[in-house]
Amino acid sequence: MKPRYYLAIFLLIIPVQASLLSPLSLGGIGPDLALALLFVVGLLTGPREAALAGMALGLLQDVSAASLIGLTGFTRGFVGLGAGLLGRRMFDLTSPSTMLFLTSFSLAEGIFIAILLQLFYGSVPFWNLLFTRLVPQALYTGLLGYFLLQPFRNQKLVLALKRRTIHREL
Amino acid sequence: MPGLIRKNKRSVVIIILFAFLFWLVTIQVKNGRFPFMERPVLAVAGFFERIIAAPFRFLESAGSRYIYLVRTERDNGRLKQELVLLQIENAAANELLTENERLRVLLEFKKQNPPTATAVQIIAKGNSPASSTITINKGSHDGIEKDMAVVAEDGVVGRVQAVLPNTAKVILITDPGSTLAVRVQRNREEGLLEGKLGLCALKYVSFYADIQEGDLLVTSGLDGLFPKGLPVATVVQVTKHEASAFQAVTARPIVSFSRLEEALVLKK
Repeated sequence: MKPRYYLAIFLLIIPVQASLLSPLSLGGIGPDLALALLFVVGLLTGPREAALAGMALGLLQDVSAASLIGLTGFTRGFVGLGAGLLGRRMFDLTSPSTMLFLTSFSLAEGIFIAILLQLFYGSVPFWNLLFTRLVPQALYTGLLGYFLLQPFRNQKLVLALKRRTIHREL
Repeated sequence: MPGLIRKNKRSVVIIILFAFLFWLVTIQVKNGRFPFMERPVLAVAGFFERIIAAPFRFLESAGSRYIYLVRTERDNGRLKQELVLLQIENAAANELLTENERLRVLLEFKKQNPPTATAVQIIAKGNSPASSTITINKGSHDGIEKDMAVVAEDGVVGRVQAVLPNTAKVILITDPGSTLAVRVQRNREEGLLEGKLGLCALKYVSFYADIQEGDLLVTSGLDGLFPKGLPVATVVQVTKHEASAFQAVTARPIVSFSRLEEALVLKK
């Protein structure tokens, strides 16, 4: 996909996540639409494209949240890379195992951020954070991603998209 | 080696980008955050946030106004704002009372004027996993400035981080970049409250200080941003390590950010 399409989608995702998904949050925990979308991009494209998309998405999120610029870009880059590598081995995108993978990616990213914050600022209440925020959010995101992937039930479409990406990456 | 790099040019570019992002974060941790890119992205994201949130706010308000009487709704909103102001005054009064008891022997006290406030609505909540921010529906056109304190009826919400003409970004007290001067209401022990993604950590509290679970932390006013005595967080965990001169104190914010719909921005 062309960079300008990515930019347009990401610029739309940020306010959608911030405005529309906040009523879906339970006890302050909401699904991470941007991560779920990046996961789908990773599965459909390849590790390089998804890593770059992840960095771009994370950077936009950092800037729009007025937070540390680059931190989410850094972690989302790895998520994109991981999802891209996974996508090379996965052809049934609507299988329930994708939900498990997305949950694992979300959890891994949360733990990675907590470790980075501990490294930079210290005093992160890790276990408390893990059970009260990271695990519930990962489960919620996994569920959302499963529904996001339902349009890709058409195997022919998935194979066509993947073939195009593999061709480009080679 | 150059041949290998040429062969894997795209992978090398990605590795360099990862290294660059990590370097970018480390220099911000060391020297403070970059504000230069905030305005253009906030302007674009804020524009979409307002557009996307508008129909939902309209439907919400239409439903409630026509189903449940118009006047009741309005009065309710006004009374809620008044309640928030009164609760802030009440918190300040409680603080003054304890101060008065402690310092009865002193004659001169500086009279504190209650701050003026602007009521704001929360139009969006942060979407970055590494930060905790909200967007409010008022900006520089309404007199909102950077570093103004934001409070709710229960206690402190955060401070204004970036301002646009019609919106502003508020950094919550749970954001890793947030620091707030607080004291324990019970025994006046002071510390610095830092955000830790959903929770807070009270730092620089002496190993020998008497901190207990359930203690209420209130603003100390020493940072010059927040009025003294506003409730901030409750201590949920206290850990002491023999090797450290300080205690590890974890606190949970008083305000439930997930249910937050309105707030007050305190003008300086």
